[in-house]
Amino acid sequence: MEDRKKLARMANRIREGLMQLKYSRYLELNRQLTTLTGQLQQLTTESRKMGASVTRGWLSAAQRCCKNVSRLLGEVGYSMPRIRPLAEKPQKEIPKLPVLVDELDALEKEFGDIEFDASKNTISVVTEPITLEDIYLGPFKIQLDLNKLDQLYYSSPYLVIALEPNPPATDDGVTHPHVSGEKLCEGDGSAAIKAALEDGRICDFFTIARSILNTYSPDSPYVALHDWDGATCYDCGYTMNSEDSYFCQYCEHDYCPDCSTYCRHCEETVCLGCSGQCSYCEEMLCRNCVSGCEECGELFCQSCLENDLCPNCKEEKENENEQQETEINESENTSQPQTETAEVKLAS
Amino acid sequence: MRLLYINNDGSGFADYVSSHEGTTVEQFFNEQMPGRKATDFLIRVNRQPVPKDYVLQEGDRVTITPTKIEGASV
Repeated sequence: MEDRKKLARMANRIREGLMQLKYSRYLELNRQLTTLTGQLQQLTTESRKMGASVTRGWLSAAQRCCKNVSRLLGEVGYSMPRIRPLAEKPQKEIPKLPVLVDELDALEKEFGDIEFDASKNTISVVTEPITLEDIYLGPFKIQLDLNKLDQLYYSSPYLVIALEPNPPATDDGVTHPHVSGEKLCEGDGSAAIKAALEDGRICDFFTIARSILNTYSPDSPYVALHDWDGATCYDCGYTMNSEDSYFCQYCEHDYCPDCSTYCRHCEETVCLGCSGQCSYCEEMLCRNCVSGCEECGELFCQSCLENDLCPNCKEEKENENEQQETEINESENTSQPQTETAEVKLAS
Repeated sequence: MRLLYINNDGSGFADYVSSHEGTTVEQFFNEQMPGRKATDFLIRVNRQPVPKDYVLQEGDRVTITPTKIEGASV
């Protein structure tokens, strides 16, 4: 009997919340309609301006009108799908007290226990511990705030609180791939949750929320489960999101942004350990884009090597060649004058 | 016979439907959710779990909720 009385008290609070929700739906519809009529009025104004511009041949003014009309049509297009469901959905009767008591009774059977905080006007249930892909996330408390039911159309009236939080290495605020800041991102369950709360199907609401918590959607988590422990830089040990890590194809390890770079020639990512630097232009390079000078053996990029020689060695070689040529020319010049002197002597 | 059918799959459905006398829960599920597996859903009649061969009665409330629903991050 005591339990039944407690359930009746809760049911009464739920009924009050649902009445506020019913009222808020009309408030929200009115707010959306006010926005839409404002946009339509602006369109009417632009239409008049367009007419005047075209009549007077003011083409620049007409072009400005086109721009404004295009913007306003986008805004109207955004407003319409938000208004339609508010206007079209038939308003159901708020469930009577005995129906809500049955809902709470079913909720208790489904989850084992209901926590009711009369001062905060919240109803909470606790899920079984949740494990997704071998990562233990613990049990979650789903806490419905009856004072916030009327915010259903633009906010979330409930929290999802991790009771044994096991957040990912890179974000303490995420306690589940689809929970951040104690807010559940409902994804495919969004419409069903809204419908359940609007109808006062409290047990269905908690059951749907639990189903979302028991499902991993790898396409759109706050933090992916394979990143839950984070990626560690092979060099400095820094823990980061795998999206922020850089993979070196040479040593096949992950590195943080500080321990990696990219080849300025082929633009491939490379760790600092596997990278080289051109000894002449000092650009960072990968192993494939760096070559040694034939003469000095230092490493250079392809642009700084010519005929496999670095600029310094090439210059030295050219100087040597010039010197050799000069020596050859000089030796040729000194041998010719000696022969002519001998012939003169013989003649006298 | 008339049943209140609540389907929490997708955008949700809650309305009265007609079904033949003597329809079991399993048969009703197969009619309403062709090609789906009953093990992927929480099925309740009048808010209670029932065996699959439970014969539905006039005015029964049948709720079907997926056990797996994909969330998101936005």
